[in-house]
Amino acid sequence: MLEIKNITVCYGDRPTVRDFSMNLKQGQIASLVGESGSGKTTVIRAVLGLLPGGGRVSEGDILFDGKSLLQNTPMEWRKLRGSEISMIFQDSGAMLNPIRRIGDGFVEYIRTHEEISKQEAWKKGTAMLEKMRLAGAENIMQSYPFQLSGGMRQRVGIAMAMTYDPKLLLADEPTSALDVTTQAQIVRQMMELRDTYGTSIIVVTHNLGVAAYMSDNIVVMRRGQIEDQGDRAHILSHSENAYTRTLLDAVPSLGGLRYV
Amino acid sequence: MFDQNEIVLEARHVTRRFPTASGKLLLANNDINLKFYKGKTLGLVGESGCGKSTFMRFLVSLDTPSEGEILYRGQDITKLKGEALRQNRQNIQMVFQDPNASFNPKMKIRDIVCEPLLNFGRIRKGEKDAACRRLLEMVELPGDFADRYPHNMSGGQRQRVAIARALALEPEILIMDEATAALDVSVQKTIVELVTKLQREKEIAIGFICHDIALVQSLSHQVAVMYLGTIVEVLPGEDLWKKARHPYTRALIGSVFDTHMDFSVPIQPLQSEVPSPLDTPPGCPFQTRCDHCTERCRRERPTLKTIGQGHEVACHLYNEEYKR
Repeated sequence: MLEIKNITVCYGDRPTVRDFSMNLKQGQIASLVGESGSGKTTVIRAVLGLLPGGGRVSEGDILFDGKSLLQNTPMEWRKLRGSEISMIFQDSGAMLNPIRRIGDGFVEYIRTHEEISKQEAWKKGTAMLEKMRLAGAENIMQSYPFQLSGGMRQRVGIAMAMTYDPKLLLADEPTSALDVTTQAQIVRQMMELRDTYGTSIIVVTHNLGVAAYMSDNIVVMRRGQIEDQGDRAHILSHSENAYTRTLLDAVPSLGGLRYV
Repeated sequence: MFDQNEIVLEARHVTRRFPTASGKLLLANNDINLKFYKGKTLGLVGESGCGKSTFMRFLVSLDTPSEGEILYRGQDITKLKGEALRQNRQNIQMVFQDPNASFNPKMKIRDIVCEPLLNFGRIRKGEKDAACRRLLEMVELPGDFADRYPHNMSGGQRQRVAIARALALEPEILIMDEATAALDVSVQKTIVELVTKLQREKEIAIGFICHDIALVQSLSHQVAVMYLGTIVEVLPGEDLWKKARHPYTRALIGSVFDTHMDFSVPIQPLQSEVPSPLDTPPGCPFQTRCDHCTERCRRERPTLKTIGQGHEVACHLYNEEYKR
């Protein structure tokens, strides 16, 4: 469904990501792991055409359902973003306008995608929050972002991203800002999205435990290039790549290595 | 398991309330009793907002508790003022989560790590170069980093500088507040290795605040689990995952994503969220999220009971006192 073919992404003249390729089938979850600055976020931003500050894909191609995304006009992007491909950010609270209620932001979001009245959009938003198992949906619609906890804000972000039942969901460090128990809830919810709606998901994360739990495929990145790539069992147990092993060994584990 | 004569710092009945705009009181710390032993690490785990940083701030005298005392070598440091307070700061130092925010960006590394030494007259200005080199070597950084600015360094290197600065005065106690949370796992590992090595060499007592229970158990001699301002369980770090009893500790352990876990078993996260510390109900603080909640839990607050060697738990499910 999604094919990334040997892309190179440059900011200015300097290539940040070089020769990156991956494929994703419908209903698969893939994760990009690596240390900070390895180019994980750049890759998924390139997929959505959201490279900041003069970034561009200088080589290669990105195909979504067989059609190249790189030649898209702004109008075509508008149709695609939020309906076919959606994104969840590290802190969905930062994506919401802090001085407007969740509901107002949500209504605006819905009304940029379809022509319906504000009342209908409000209803649709509330229904969506309920579908994502947020208790007291009407209450949340009336709240300001700062009144919600980090986990609730993240669920609002997921609800907004899932409104139009996208084929592809891009998640940029969706659980990094959350507590461990909330992280487990969000991870589980994202896996349920895949099981219920068949959504394909690309997760960018530095948490190898989360990546291992969620993904069918794992891509390990380092300095803008693919260091290692394969299905979960391969990466976790059979990979002979030294860097992958270093990363895996560094993950603290209960009952694992003790330093004292 | 710990020598009672080796207690360097002890918190007794520490309670902290913050007044809020609505006139209510926010109970951030509720009757906390903890002991720090020479050369040992106490790990403090809990979710954000549970009061772990509030507590650690008392230890470094950045804030004072509403009630209770903190004894450093028998002296209550919460009552210190003026020069006595300043002198006491040499004994207890801190490493913060974000080294960027805790350094002056316009100071060179040499000035950053030598500032405490100059403040307490331990060295003269002419000795800065040698002192800085010695401190950087201690944290395994090249000596020529002295001329760099914090922005010229990576996150891991900056955290090493922060450790060098904190240990410059050779304190007996080091408080690390989420000191590895902003780092990549591989860098986190090297920092943990460095800290544990320095601890063995210098016999420092460490207070390690962290939300990652897997990391905490890997480096702590004793672990305290905190929930809504209350310590719910204290136990030795080794075998924590086998011996932990409190339902909240078990839930934390159940939420850890591990690369060695069985992926076919769905993870069982705690549903619901932490209640607001503004209106903590009577009874057990964990009652709203606990699967084993009974009538008694809603009525009566459980107190810490010793159920094993160095193992205390505050839960009505565990009542048999441990006999020595």
